[in-house]
Amino acid sequence: MKRSKIELGDITPHNIKQLKRLNTVVFPVSYNEKFYKDVLEAGELAKLAYYNDIVVGAVCCRIDLEVGRRLYIMTLGCLYPYRRLGIGTMMVQHVLNYVEKDGNFDSIYLHVQLNNDGAIEFYKKFGFQIVETKEHYYKRIEPADAYVLEKVLKPSANNDGDHQSNSMK
Amino acid sequence: MPSSNPLPPKENSLFKRILKCYEHKQYKNGLKFAKQILSNPKFSEHGETLAMKGLTLNCLGRKEEAYEYVRRGLRNDLTSHVCWHVYGLLQRSDKKYDEAIKCYRNALKWEKDNIQILRDLSLLQVQMRDLEGYRDTRYHLFMLRPTQRVSWIGFAMAYHLLEDYETALNILETFRKTQIPSSGYDFEHSEFLLYQNMVIRESGAFEEALRHLQANKDQIYDKVTIQETYGELYLKLSMFEEAKNEFNKLLERNPENIDYYYKLHEAEKLTTDAEKYELACRYRTKFPRALMPRRMALNYVSGDLFRKEVDEYMRRGFHKGIPPLFVDLKSLYKDKEKIKIIEDLLNTYRVSLTTTGFFSPDPNEEKQPASAILWVYYYMAQHYDYLQDTVEAFKYIETAINHTPTLIELFIVKGQIYKHAGDVKEAYKCMDEAQALDTADRYINYKCAKYMLRANLLQEAEEICSKFTREGVSAMENLNEMQCIWFQTECALAYQRLEKWGESLKKCHEIDRHFSEIIEDQFDFHTYCMRKMTLRSYVGLLRLEDVLRSHPFYFRAAKCAIQVYLRLHDRPLSYTDTQQQLNTDLAIQWNTSD
Repeated sequence: MKRSKIELGDITPHNIKQLKRLNTVVFPVSYNEKFYKDVLEAGELAKLAYYNDIVVGAVCCRIDLEVGRRLYIMTLGCLYPYRRLGIGTMMVQHVLNYVEKDGNFDSIYLHVQLNNDGAIEFYKKFGFQIVETKEHYYKRIEPADAYVLEKVLKPSANNDGDHQSNSMK
Repeated sequence: MPSSNPLPPKENSLFKRILKCYEHKQYKNGLKFAKQILSNPKFSEHGETLAMKGLTLNCLGRKEEAYEYVRRGLRNDLTSHVCWHVYGLLQRSDKKYDEAIKCYRNALKWEKDNIQILRDLSLLQVQMRDLEGYRDTRYHLFMLRPTQRVSWIGFAMAYHLLEDYETALNILETFRKTQIPSSGYDFEHSEFLLYQNMVIRESGAFEEALRHLQANKDQIYDKVTIQETYGELYLKLSMFEEAKNEFNKLLERNPENIDYYYKLHEAEKLTTDAEKYELACRYRTKFPRALMPRRMALNYVSGDLFRKEVDEYMRRGFHKGIPPLFVDLKSLYKDKEKIKIIEDLLNTYRVSLTTTGFFSPDPNEEKQPASAILWVYYYMAQHYDYLQDTVEAFKYIETAINHTPTLIELFIVKGQIYKHAGDVKEAYKCMDEAQALDTADRYINYKCAKYMLRANLLQEAEEICSKFTREGVSAMENLNEMQCIWFQTECALAYQRLEKWGESLKKCHEIDRHFSEIIEDQFDFHTYCMRKMTLRSYVGLLRLEDVLRSHPFYFRAAKCAIQVYLRLHDRPLSYTDTQQQLNTDLAIQWNTSD
């Protein structure tokens, strides 16, 4: 018999309730209406993951311009019975492909609860590293601290001599 | 016979222009020309002009004036076929067909060979199933225009509908002989031959039908129908080997057609279940990708063999994730033993999948996808729901929802369990939740609306439906326009439960009107099908229309209407009732709006 089918699909106003349901079950944090409104505008940065045609996971990112140009993974999750089947990897790979194609991101980063060893291990496989600890990052869950995981994509701007000399002119 | 009151050349040419305008739907211009004639005091009472003015007014929606003018015209010129014809057309447009036929007949009295009137008459006759009259008119038309194809076909069909096969076939065969076979693709001739064959078969001359098919098959392009007809005829003539051969060829085309398998049972003269099982197995091997022989095998076995077969069948379903698996197997639930076997297997899968991820402890198996157990839970919920074990059904549907809360089908089944347990309110809530998860799914949308109506929530149901109705018009109107009978029936039943008798009857009558319209709609096909030669479908349509109101949809609506009328007859509404009804209407509106 053939292998199980994993694929990504768009989030639309028609199926956004499925994302809400999924997030409610997968994450201890609840997201507000603004989050879901933005997701609908996010295009390739927000995707549902299907396993044998059932929605079992989702990834939602946004572009962060506070310091340089970074991609922030807001949520990336998968229903419990469908973990360790390559669904998370597919979603991360989708994000990596996105930033590579774009070519203009300095880094990708995300927050992980301090005790979430599984997630930390998972992201390290893709070259993410712990760069910072944020105390009291979460409001209503324990532990409240979070690690910031980051994957640097290109050398920081001040090493980029060529670009600098251009802008000096 | 011309009009008793002919117009002089100038007015006559104006009159011709009225006719032109009518044909080209330039009604306003038509009225202008009519006025030009009628304003001349000499012709102010000219019958045919008055009649045409009336007919034109009718097309502009001014029905009362139309009748007035047409009748006045006719009174002034009782011997004019134009006046009678016009009066007939007016009655026809008003759906008074019997009256219209009388008018046409009067028209023909004064102009017996008028092709247009004869054609109009023949249409009404076949519409009203005055088949003898139809035959006479078609004969008349045939004699007037023997070179036209339609004349032959209509003439023959009249005899066919009267079951005078011999005459019908004589006409058809004489016509066929006049046809020179064209070298290229000729769909219409192909359809003609298939129609001819149909009439031969209906006459009971199967050998003749077979000869006809063999002689003409090269000119027939509908290859499936040729093969099916061959198969049928061979069976009728007890030529079983040939029949078997034919249905085998058909299965090569489409191994999912259950009828072909049943025909093979006949051709192979199978009587016992064991033989039929053997046949299913043979075709399962022959068409490994086909579902039908696999499924059919389950019908003809029992005991351990059934266990083995259904085990394989269900594993396949759970592995692939086939949502309608339960619906597919439900017909096996007639047999208690089979239910027991299925239940045993389900429990084995459930225990084994949750502990090891395999269907059974057998080490040779491959590991199942993570969704397999979900589909087992989903099936088990429906299984116990069928057996009216609500507690178990809920247990499994809840387990399934905890496992995968994003699967829409689960909420549908949960709603069904509530419905079967009698809780219409919780049932619709589940359906609403399912609907919200995918608002682009028309099926769930329909289910949700239906469940809302079962809970007497008429407004909510309309709102849900409005997601799929045309924008800019009220959903209720649009659903009526689209002849959405299920919706209107459920509305009628909801109003009946709410004791809003008038509203309920209104919906029932809307449904009745749809059926009248379907009968009306036939009219266009009388000319269209003859012209396009789609004669088999045409005869099929006529036969469907003959029994149209025996459709279950009609039955349900009629039953509701009868109950409401009986209720109103037994206890007519008094003035106070009507007042109370108004009050309860308000109260209901309040209750449903929160």
